[in-house]
Amino acid sequence: MSVATILLLAQEAGAESSTAVNWFMPGKGVLLVSLIVVVVAVLGSILWARAGHSIVVRKIAGLDAVDEAVGRATEMGRPILFVPGIQDMDNIQTVAGITILSKVAKTAAEYDADIEVPNTRSLVMTSAREAVHAAYLSAGRTDSYNPDRIYYVSDEQFAFVAYTSGLMARKRPAACFYFGCFFAESLILAENGNAIGAIQIAGTAETTQLPFFVASCDYTLIGEEFFAASAYLSGEPDQLGTLLGQDMIKAVVWVMIAVVTLVATIAAVTESAGVTQFITNLRMSMGGG
Amino acid sequence: MTAPHAASSTPSSPSGKAPPAPDRIQVIVATDCGSTTTKAILIELVDGHYRQTQRGEAPTTVEAPFADVTLGVTNSVTELQELSGRRLIADDGTVIRRTALTDPNGCDVYISTSSAGGGLQMMVAGVVRQMTAESAKRAALGAGAIVMDTIAANDNRKPHEQIQRIRELRPDMVLLSGGTDGGDQKKVVELAELIAPAKPRPRFGGEYQLPVIYAGNKDAAPAVARVFGAGFDLSIVPNLRPTLEAENLGPARDRIHDVFLEHVMAHAPGYDKLISWADAPIMPTPGAVGDILQTIARKRGINAVGVDIGGATTDVFSVFDGVFNRTVSANLGMSYSISNVCAEATMPRIMRWVHLPMDERELRNRVKNKMIRPTTIPQSLEALVFEQAVAREALRLSYEQHKAFATTLKGVQQQRTVGDAFSQQAGGGTLVNNMKLDLLVASGGVLSHAPRMEQTALMLIDSFEPEGFTELAKDSIFMMPHLGVLASVHPDAAMEVFEKDCLIFLGTCVAPHGEGKPGKQCFSWTLSGARSAQGTMAVGEMQVLPLAHHESCEMTVSPEKGFDMGTGPGKPVTRTVRGGTVGLILDARGRAIAVPNAENERRATIQKWLTALRVYE
Repeated sequence: MSVATILLLAQEAGAESSTAVNWFMPGKGVLLVSLIVVVVAVLGSILWARAGHSIVVRKIAGLDAVDEAVGRATEMGRPILFVPGIQDMDNIQTVAGITILSKVAKTAAEYDADIEVPNTRSLVMTSAREAVHAAYLSAGRTDSYNPDRIYYVSDEQFAFVAYTSGLMARKRPAACFYFGCFFAESLILAENGNAIGAIQIAGTAETTQLPFFVASCDYTLIGEEFFAASAYLSGEPDQLGTLLGQDMIKAVVWVMIAVVTLVATIAAVTESAGVTQFITNLRMSMGGG
Repeated sequence: MTAPHAASSTPSSPSGKAPPAPDRIQVIVATDCGSTTTKAILIELVDGHYRQTQRGEAPTTVEAPFADVTLGVTNSVTELQELSGRRLIADDGTVIRRTALTDPNGCDVYISTSSAGGGLQMMVAGVVRQMTAESAKRAALGAGAIVMDTIAANDNRKPHEQIQRIRELRPDMVLLSGGTDGGDQKKVVELAELIAPAKPRPRFGGEYQLPVIYAGNKDAAPAVARVFGAGFDLSIVPNLRPTLEAENLGPARDRIHDVFLEHVMAHAPGYDKLISWADAPIMPTPGAVGDILQTIARKRGINAVGVDIGGATTDVFSVFDGVFNRTVSANLGMSYSISNVCAEATMPRIMRWVHLPMDERELRNRVKNKMIRPTTIPQSLEALVFEQAVAREALRLSYEQHKAFATTLKGVQQQRTVGDAFSQQAGGGTLVNNMKLDLLVASGGVLSHAPRMEQTALMLIDSFEPEGFTELAKDSIFMMPHLGVLASVHPDAAMEVFEKDCLIFLGTCVAPHGEGKPGKQCFSWTLSGARSAQGTMAVGEMQVLPLAHHESCEMTVSPEKGFDMGTGPGKPVTRTVRGGTVGLILDARGRAIAVPNAENERRATIQKWLTALRVYE
């Protein structure tokens, strides 16, 4: 280590010690309070759920229909197709999709139906294999697990779509699941599935793709429903508590938006300097410009 | 290997006799051979109308020492003979047929149903529990069977557990379904491979081969036939679910009836003789009840629900938009199963219908006594009130089970539009819609033999919670089975007797759907026609308007905002309403019926309802 390097490190250490006195920025106090409220709401809800209190999650038809879709494939002797989107594991929608894949795979294992999972990313393929294997294991049907049914196709969007569309035309799956991040391929896949008479269930947070899924699929999980699926399916107190805590915070935010909108409107109409100043201060304290 | 039977298109009488043409039928003798009693009725053409004129009954003689069901039939018909003065029984004990319409003795047609010896008991199997297995169950129940168990690939049992269960059962026959036509073959053959080696033994001894009806994927039929081979009497009928979008129960039901006659009945004591006497195939009793309910629903273009509450089980039948369903709640009954009703419903739910102070411990003793002495009947007002409270809960639970079973088909592709984004409903929704219900028919001891008609009416309303305009009726002498089998020979006669003699119309229940604050106005009403009157009803009130069973009126009901009579909240409805022995019942308690929690308030509320209907006066 050179002398210059040692001097540089010493200078940085000195700089850190000088910033220690600035841990709190009084102007950002509202953010601190908000953070505490969020943490308390989520942790409180988790503890509430752990204490054995029941938390009711409204019915999500798309998840309740998983049994029906897998049953259809079983009765018709056709496979199940699961597409976990076209993004990698760094996309939260893909992670949520893999969670739902576990549920679908477990149901397929219980019904002894074939499941096919084409992927656009190698890492997603690996995760999907793990999820499906675990699902077959928990259903007690490890002998039926076939890793070759979960495979990589192409990173290219339309190469993947072309392959999957061909697969649908050839094997005519009776149940198609699309859970993850989708773009232009959403309508192509869903229309193909509709044309072959499959029950289709989709879920995505991509608002631009939701109308296509809603129109061409039997059931669609919309935005938050998709992320709530994990808690809905598992029924674990920690996940349900987190869901409740988040919903409480959302409710608080809605109320705040309504109140502040009302106050800002009053300020604009009455041209009151006091109310305008209050709005400005609030905006600044929340980090606004 | 036994060659599999092809499905017969229509069931025929194994006696080989064709019933006479309807215009040649003027005197009809019908019997229902129950487990304990054989009930006979005489129907005659009186002044151009078919009427039930006499009724007789005698103990059923299917068990030892008699072991001949025809003895009980002869005894019950002999009672008819004595009451009517018409000779119906020949010296050899058979039922006499007339040779000419002027003949003063004998009858033109003899028909019978049977539930003796436990009725028809079946095991059903299908690939997916909610799909083909459910269709198989629906076919079996609709044919009047008791379903002992349902085997499915996803019934959460391991194969060895399924085999063990199959070996334990002693069904009269097995119905196997699975796979759509052109669909799955592997799993339905696997099911056959479970059943065949398990070798379930038939109930009536081992001298005949167990009948198996295959109603699955037609492509898998040869493989299924190979699996069953010798040792089973296999019949192959068209698939119950040729596609998942359609259900075809008719051929399987017809085959069940045929097999019931050819195998099950033929091996029961004395039934070979009874079959030879009858002019139409002998039907399982619940199947006949279902048939008459379907006939009346079809002929009148209505939706109907029937209930038969017994000691051990409760049967619920429904016809909504032409779709028939039947369920048997095996552990809900008023004697053998009364403890189970108390356990399932819980005491607080039962006690909410009781307005008298009662000691819960004493009631528990009463329940156990009823279970071990099933033929006892209430001897005090308290006992009667409690028994009817239990009946309300048994009926409610049975109806809930029925609603869960009577559903649209599952596994069907849905057609959506963007407008459905926030209103997507899962498939398999219930067909039962109380607002669409037009006729509710009650039978079974606790309902039929209630000391006052008002008690039967209120039990039906409290447990089924009918909405809108619903006619209430009870089967006077449990004649529906006889009329069900008569409908296959002379439908018009069956309808006429059903309307005139079988049903005792209790009245029409008028009840809006919705909830409101007690005391606020619920609806206003006006009557015109046979009677003219008008009034209003407050939330929580009940009222009876006198309207005799032969009378009918035009009634306009204008519900308040938040209450619905079938055309939308707050919208007035005008209907023709029919009277009955109780009258026109106005029920403004809302739906679901809310009973207060506070003890004193609850008792006062129940007392108010009982007084309004003069239930225990």
